[in-house]
This record gives sequence, structure tokens and C-alpha cells, in this order.
Amino acid sequence: MANYNKIHLLMVDDEVKFLETITKRLKLKFFEITSATNGVDAIEAARKGRFDVAVIDLQMPGIDGAQVLEILKKNHKYLEVLILSGHATVESAVDCTKLGAFKILEKPCKFDKLVDAIKEAYERRLKKKFEHDQLRIKKIEALALGQSPLGILKELAQMDEAEK
Amino acid sequence: MNDTINFINIEGLKFFGKVNASISHELKNILAIISETSGLLNDLTDLAKQGKDLKLSMFENCSASIAEDIQRGFTTIKQMNRFAHSVDIPIKEINLFETLELTINLSGFLSFASKVQINNSDQETKSILTCPFLLQNLIYQILIFTYESVGPDGDIHIRIDSKNNDGAHLIFSSPAQLTLKGFPTQKIQKTVDVLGVELNINESPHELDIWIPYVSNKIIVLAKELQNDSYTGNDKQD
Repeated sequence: MANYNKIHLLMVDDEVKFLETITKRLKLKFFEITSATNGVDAIEAARKGRFDVAVIDLQMPGIDGAQVLEILKKNHKYLEVLILSGHATVESAVDCTKLGAFKILEKPCKFDKLVDAIKEAYERRLKKKFEHDQLRIKKIEALALGQSPLGILKELAQMDEAEK
Repeated sequence: MNDTINFINIEGLKFFGKVNASISHELKNILAIISETSGLLNDLTDLAKQGKDLKLSMFENCSASIAEDIQRGFTTIKQMNRFAHSVDIPIKEINLFETLELTINLSGFLSFASKVQINNSDQETKSILTCPFLLQNLIYQILIFTYESVGPDGDIHIRIDSKNNDGAHLIFSSPAQLTLKGFPTQKIQKTVDVLGVELNINESPHELDIWIPYVSNKIIVLAKELQNDSYTGNDKQD
């Protein structure tokens, strides 16, 4: 079973009061949280930190939630993103799902439902990372059969570059 | 139904929908804050029951926050009600300052709204005979244009100049200078024509000036057209 206490969460919402309150509540659940009130700060925080799950509002000034989702999914392969918005429509839900959102939740959302969704997203992240690592181990094993140590390192570097 | 009334109805419905959508978003936000703050209050109570030593101010802050947001909700609903009643009487005398203030508040629910200040305004401005709903629509459209021009961190300044005996000027400006490329849009120009107001762009200082006559011939014509139209009339107020 996953250790949920270690979840690193990025919360993004332009409604400061909502962001502060939900952050306090989630911290009581032992999640480690960084918050941002706009898209630019969120993208910068994700670049600097390592997050498992991001919870993003859709309607924000400047870069909106859908754009933030698109950028985060492009730059952070294993990050799972939840959309939490008071403005979600069927169209925006479809668009966000296409962009890779894990789940769309509507504000106001029951706290337990949000916590469960964060945990599910974290589990999916772990699963994807695990599957990727398994694949990587298999590739290394295959390489090790016919390569010198230097050759293996070169191949690994190429694999890392290709993943980027 | 003639073209003008058709325009008022179609654009009016779009405007009404847009404002209602932004109000519902605002109310959802308020409810979300109240919901989370009351949840936090419960979480803290549970911790206190378990023997955790918590400061009393943490509970007091939650309670004060809930009261504050309930008040914010009441204010929003009051504005929603005033807006809803602006369609009751198609043509009537209005106070320009009050109409401007309400429209600024309604547009403030948009996520990309800039900060708006009403400067040097004469609140006792003379009454204007107009179509209140259409005038709100025009001010709203211009506010959106100026928000997009200066961005969410920008400032918009608006002043009412009612020194002239024939009407009042509603003047929009910004310390960041308004970019008025593509202004006025077709829709804004049509709204201006129907209302019988005038739009001017002043170069120095760079300002957008709406001249609103206290009574315009176009409004008198429009009042007659609306009176003859079987689908428009005065509704009872709730």
C-alpha cells in the first residue's frame, strides 16, 4: 500500500482564501504542499520542485488552468493533475481529459472526495513510474549481455536523452 | 419585431447569460471557502478532542472567516438581484454612478478583471433616461475591452464628468495607457448607435470617452418602438 504521507502536492488557485484554507486542511492530512495563486508561479514551482500530484483551478488570470495542465503534463512525465474548478463545463472537462487530467472535480467538492482523488492520482503516478522503471531494468539487462561498462553507460545516457 | 429590438433581445440574452455564469462562479467560490473553513473548524475540533493543545485564535479565525464569506455571498446576491431587475422597465431614468458601480462589480467576477477605480465622480449626477440594461451591456463590453488591454495586474480609472447641462461624460483611462486596437468592435458600435450615445478616443491624455445625453432622440424613438412591440412591456417587481 502506498505511503500517502509522502505525497508532494502542488495546489494552484487564484482564490487566495480558498487556497489558504484547503492547504491548511491538506497539511493536517500530512501531505507536503506548495501553493501558487497563478499559472506562471505554478509552472515555476513545478520546475524547481518535485511533485507527485497537482490540483489546479481552471479559471485564473493570465495563463488559465488548461494551459497550466498542458505545460505541466508536457514537462513532468509522471505528474498527475486534478482539476478543481467552479467553472467546469462538459466541454472543458473533455478538453482537460484529452490534455491528460486525471480527474475533474467540481467546486465546492467534499474534502474526503478530494483527498481520495489525490491518493488515487498518487497511486497512478507510482504505477506509471514503477512500470517505467521495470522497462528500464529490462533494457539495462539486455544491454549488459553484450556491452562493455562504458558502452552500457553511453546507452543509458542516450535512453535518458530520448526520454527527455 | 424590428432589427433594433432583435439586437437588444439577442445581445441582451447573451449578456445576461454571461453575467449569470460569472455570478454563479463567484457563488461557487464563496461556498467552497465556507465549506473548507467549516471543515477546517471540524478538523481542529477533532484534534482538540484528541488532546492537542491548539490556540483559541485558530477557532476564532475560522468562525470570523465564515461570517465574512457569508457577507460576501449576501453582497453578491444583492448585486445579482439589482442586475436581474434592470430588465423590468426597458426605458427609465437611472443614476449613472449607481449603474457604473454595479456594472464594475459584476465585471469584477471575471477572472481576468483588472482593478477599477472611480475617480472624481459626482455621485449626484443628473438622471439619465436610457435603456438601463443596454447601457450596462455597453459599459460591461468596454470594461472587458479595457481589462484585456491592461491585463489582470493593470489599473483602470473611470470618472464621470457631468458639468455639461446636456449630458455626462464617462471617461476611461489607465496609468498603463489603454491599447485600443480594434476598438470599437461592431457590437460595441451597434450598442452605441442604439443607445444614442457617442464614443470618442482622446489622444492627450489617452482616454476613452462615452458621451451620454440626459435624454436622446434615439432613446425616445426606442421607447416608442418597445411600447409597440408585443413582447416587451413592464413587469412587476419581485
